[in-house]
Amino acid sequence: MTQTSYAELIGVCAGALLLTSVLTVWYRSQRASVRALGAQGVALAALVAVVAIDRAEAELIPVIALVLVLKGLVLPWVLTRRRTPAAGARAGADHGEETMLLNPVAILVAAALLAVVAYAVTWPLVADSLSPAAHAAPVGVAMVLIGFLVLLTRRRAISQLVGFLALDNGIATVAFLISGGVPLLLEFGASLDILLVTLILVVFSRQMRTVFGDTDVDRMRELHD
Amino acid sequence: MTAVSWAMLLQFAFAGLAAALALLPAERIRSVLSGAASAVMSAVGVVTGVLAMNGVTGGLQFAVAVPAVPLTFAPDRLGGLFIVLASVIGLLVAVYGAASVRGASASRTAWFALPLFLMGMQLVPAAADAVSFLLVWEAMALGSTVLLLAEHAGSSRVSSAAVWYAVMSQLSFLFILAGFGVLSAAAGGTDFSALSAVAPASPPALLAFVLLVLGFGSKAGLVPLHVWLPRAHPEAPSHVSAAMSAAMVKMGIYGILLVVVRFFPGGPDWWGIVLLVLGGGSAVYGILQASVSSDLKVLLAYSTTENVGLIVLAIGASVLLTAHGITAAAGAAMLAALLLVVSHAVFKVTLFLAAGSVLHATGERNLDHLGGLGRRMPWTAAAFGIAALGAAALPISSGFVSEWVLLQSLVHGTRVGGAAVSVIVSIAMPIVVAVVALTAGLAVLTFVKAYGIGFLARPRSAAAAGAHESSRVVRAVLIAGAAGVVLLGLVPGPLATALVSVLPASGTPIVESAGLLGVNLPGLGAVLDPLVLVILTAVLASFVIIATLRSAWRNPQRIDAFAWGGGGERAQPRMQYTATSFAEPVVRVFDDVLQPARDVEVTHAGESRYLVNRVRFSQSVTDIVESRLYRPVLTVIDRFGVVVRRIQNGSIHLYLLYSFAAVIVVLVVATL
Repeated sequence: MTQTSYAELIGVCAGALLLTSVLTVWYRSQRASVRALGAQGVALAALVAVVAIDRAEAELIPVIALVLVLKGLVLPWVLTRRRTPAAGARAGADHGEETMLLNPVAILVAAALLAVVAYAVTWPLVADSLSPAAHAAPVGVAMVLIGFLVLLTRRRAISQLVGFLALDNGIATVAFLISGGVPLLLEFGASLDILLVTLILVVFSRQMRTVFGDTDVDRMRELHD
Repeated sequence: MTAVSWAMLLQFAFAGLAAALALLPAERIRSVLSGAASAVMSAVGVVTGVLAMNGVTGGLQFAVAVPAVPLTFAPDRLGGLFIVLASVIGLLVAVYGAASVRGASASRTAWFALPLFLMGMQLVPAAADAVSFLLVWEAMALGSTVLLLAEHAGSSRVSSAAVWYAVMSQLSFLFILAGFGVLSAAAGGTDFSALSAVAPASPPALLAFVLLVLGFGSKAGLVPLHVWLPRAHPEAPSHVSAAMSAAMVKMGIYGILLVVVRFFPGGPDWWGIVLLVLGGGSAVYGILQASVSSDLKVLLAYSTTENVGLIVLAIGASVLLTAHGITAAAGAAMLAALLLVVSHAVFKVTLFLAAGSVLHATGERNLDHLGGLGRRMPWTAAAFGIAALGAAALPISSGFVSEWVLLQSLVHGTRVGGAAVSVIVSIAMPIVVAVVALTAGLAVLTFVKAYGIGFLARPRSAAAAGAHESSRVVRAVLIAGAAGVVLLGLVPGPLATALVSVLPASGTPIVESAGLLGVNLPGLGAVLDPLVLVILTAVLASFVIIATLRSAWRNPQRIDAFAWGGGGERAQPRMQYTATSFAEPVVRVFDDVLQPARDVEVTHAGESRYLVNRVRFSQSVTDIVESRLYRPVLTVIDRFGVVVRRIQNGSIHLYLLYSFAAVIVVLVVATL
């Protein structure tokens, strides 16, 4: 693979990641957000594949598989899964329209600003590097910040989980772009953590729904001693 | 590995066993087995302490427990003394607990916390560097807080007491942390031997002294940091309050000794003045509050403040006298402090456990509702009575010997060879003697009240009338405690020489055994031999007794007349003195200090102003340190808290916004 085509491919993957990231924050529907998150997972796997081919590291192959399966398929599936057919009707409300704390235009402007901030703060770090992958690192930071934005602007628990996972994808992206990923064992550990956290939070949000009839975290404001 | 290391390893093993046994499902089995394991752990602790007191070095080192700093537990002689103290108390408390606790106090959590608490206390004096000291100090605080909360379901006062206790514990911890921090920064290491290399007159040492005295003073219950004590001691289960009062507050004393004996033996004289003022104030204030309290356990708690005050006063006197070169009296004052520590531990554990038995038998802590327990609970009454002798510092008890040594050192402290040495000492000592005398007088009154109202006379309530003696094991523990009080009081010689051996050696011996195991203070020319005095008194008294018996034998007629009965029937229980009425003169004399709230409610019969149907009198004494010092501070904090509520309002989005803003600020700052 030539240096130019490598840079092109990295650029495409990074672009896809940034786009999906913006989509997760822009979509009003939870289901669509989760789908965008899945697409982001696939894009991340593609990015890892490009890095793996360039570095000719066979060790990254299981990582590609792991990212593809976990971030592209399993996590989105866990987030959209309905509990039981009977409860599905009610759960539908939870997968539907999300009332946001900011309007979509404001969110897009905020996402753009965050991307600028990410570029501004990351560029000095990677400017000296010759690798095209490192030059794409601001995208990862922007994903982290946009993930945070999702966390901030959504009310429902599941949408917040989407934000959390988008944030995590951003961290993984930075790791892959700058250093070609972390050691395999660490990657496994981190992925397992993410999966566990997501499972626990999904169960937790169901509990919330049973107790409050809703998963609007704004309702949980009462402080206890 | 020395003997000390093996003993400490064994202690750890039994602590772990006790904690594991605490998880057993059946309450009775859990109590007996876990209590027994805790008792064995404490018994091994006694061995550790005795070995360390005798100069056996060694200990345990955990290399990897905290990053970069190995935890070292290697008790010195002084630490050994306090390990023995904490372990003996732990032994009595664990046995008492195993035999008596039921219900919430015997829960798995409570039995799990007990070994943590006891082990923490036994390790505090063993710590040889600041980090391990703070670690076990916190374990001790944590264990005791959990134990204090054991009965929280039954009363809201328990949780309030626990909040006070936890806050004051943390405050004390922060002061100690800051103090050690200042010292470590100056010394360049956290090891105690490194810390003691700091010059006593240097600014870090002075700052550390103030911080550490505040921290340790709060744990010891010195006024004005004592507020947790009269709350936590009464609300905790009785065996826990016994351990807290008899052993845990002594760790505060150990801390103060650590500063003035181990780190900086040559401290400036104002350290002594500070300790004298703190100690004297606590002694008088504590015993005044105790003398007017009607709640048995609150009374005992305030009496702890008094005794701790006396101990700190003795330490302060020793520091002051050392700074002015009056070494003989200074040594005697330090000996008095250690004697007071041991004697208070022994009699206070007995008093609290006896109070626990009373509470268990009657469900009452209020002395105004007790009475007549002497006949129903003879063993408990005897143990309480003997321990009360110790608390009142009356002869044949350990309290008497220690206060005698204290007064000797104070009286002989002003002059060396007949010439006054220093103006400050000449002024301070008479005042201190007066303070100690006032304290001793009020202590007699307090414990006459506690014993007389609680155990003599006739029952003042149905609960007191239906009281029953406690189980055999509990009685054995109480008798062991009371025996300790009498033994240390009759043959103080061996104890005194052992106590002096833990102090840094000085030129002339401070104390020698004299006569029948009495004490001789050669530097001061004072000798006390209680056993000889007792035998002498017995011989003299026997003549009087024989004469009385003979006259009674010769004139057998006896007239049973009810004194001041006016020909009436026997007095009703309600006519007796109550605790409140007994303490009334004290309240009157110290009205300005105590500021009691009195309320007289008169109900008139019909329209008449002259015919009274009913008069109701109520009086309550509040802790004025609390109402004048703590309440205003709390009000200010509360107001500030309302403002903070706006920032911390429970909205998850707001919290996320904070961290988001923080991330961006950090990123931008890092770039600039």
